Amino acid sequence: MINSLYVYRTDCKDPFINLAREEVLLKSGPSDGVLLYLWQNEKTVVIGRNQNVFKECRVSLLEEEGGRLARRLSGGGAVFHDSGNLNFTFILPREDFDIKRQADVICRACRSFGIDAVVSGRNDLEIGGRKFSGNAFYKSGDRAYHHGTLLVSLDMNLIGRYLKPPEAKLKAKGVDSVHSRIINLFDVAPEITKAALCRELVCSAESVYGFSAKEFIFTSDMENEVSGKTNYYASDEWRFGSDTTATFCCEETFGWGTVTFEFQIDYGIISRVRVFTDAMDWEIPARIESALSGKRFTGTDIKESLISAEIDAGIKNDLCKMLEKQEI
Amino acid sequence: MNFPNELKYSKDHEWVKTEGETAIIGISDFAQDALGDIVFVNLPEAGDEVVAGEVFGDLESVKAVSDMLSPVSGTVAAVNEELADTPEILNSDPYGAWIIKVEGITDTEDLMDADAYAEFCKED
Repeated sequence: MINSLYVYRTDCKDPFINLAREEVLLKSGPSDGVLLYLWQNEKTVVIGRNQNVFKECRVSLLEEEGGRLARRLSGGGAVFHDSGNLNFTFILPREDFDIKRQADVICRACRSFGIDAVVSGRNDLEIGGRKFSGNAFYKSGDRAYHHGTLLVSLDMNLIGRYLKPPEAKLKAKGVDSVHSRIINLFDVAPEITKAALCRELVCSAESVYGFSAKEFIFTSDMENEVSGKTNYYASDEWRFGSDTTATFCCEETFGWGTVTFEFQIDYGIISRVRVFTDAMDWEIPARIESALSGKRFTGTDIKESLISAEIDAGIKNDLCKMLEKQEI
Repeated sequence: MNFPNELKYSKDHEWVKTEGETAIIGISDFAQDALGDIVFVNLPEAGDEVVAGEVFGDLESVKAVSDMLSPVSGTVAAVNEELADTPEILNSDPYGAWIIKVEGITDTEDLMDADAYAEFCKED
């Protein structure tokens, strides 16, 4: 039963703290109603719970340019966040979870700016067939959340810079992203600001649920939980995952033969690499394997290790170029 | 909706089949229907401990991740490796597609028989 409406807003733009707060709000937050959490991340790629990082994101480039990679608890595909994007999360009892009702809060807020927003077949929100809000869901025991992005004035050029296009998809397990045409709210309502949108979202939640919004305050126990969870969200263990979602394969044919790489990556480190080739030099695979095992799975580390391997300089050059193209 | 009589059911919509000292756990027909097409399954490993009422794995259907709560406490004896490549069998054959087998059971949640569970699903 929903008996109250709470709102929690934060100015923090650290994705790991913000995701930790979201989980603590779900597990230890108010149990008598619905809570609307409004938050933003600075330059972050957020991937779905069961996605393969290397399939979706140019991690090295993102991190070199000061961005961060984060993984969320909900399913679905990879998204790019910057300060032009506003995130919302509805946290509520599972029995009161109702995607249509939650989406209605967002659509009503949009209408107050004259924006005609509708729910798409994949439960995203669109304007004229173009998505401005990607939504995803997480359910645990008797609690659930529905969260999503709201593109207000996102830097669209950065999406293609950090997220890999579908045609580059590797042969690997994991849930693939679904690509759609997107649009910023600013493009249809130039007067919109994030502050005004936040205000309208709260008003809209008040009319949909029928309660005045109360500001939620974290208890000191909850703050302690957030600190612990923040470290976990920032850890390579959580972000990169292991086993099924952390394999990477690629293959290319050169004048000297065809070569296939199969990397197993555990917590960002190459735990195992297998190299298959029909090249005449039967020592190549073993030498590459020993040069790369145990190294960090980044473009720079792989290149450095390959250069130091005792194999023919021409072949080494081909392999470096091949792996560079994978944009690890 | 099909709820076999020889199984017991938890409030979190898992089914339990007891074979000697072993509890075999899966998700019910109601659960798979409510989740929709399942695309990914995260499972524990053999040897891991599971605790009654706590998360032991999760399922991803279209953009929703749902935790699975263990109906028993004990040690995972086996996991159904087939689910890694073909999670969709949880939809097509929920009672054939077991998820984990647990041994050394020290605690069991209150479980429902098929009739009580059918009633429970009607209210849910």
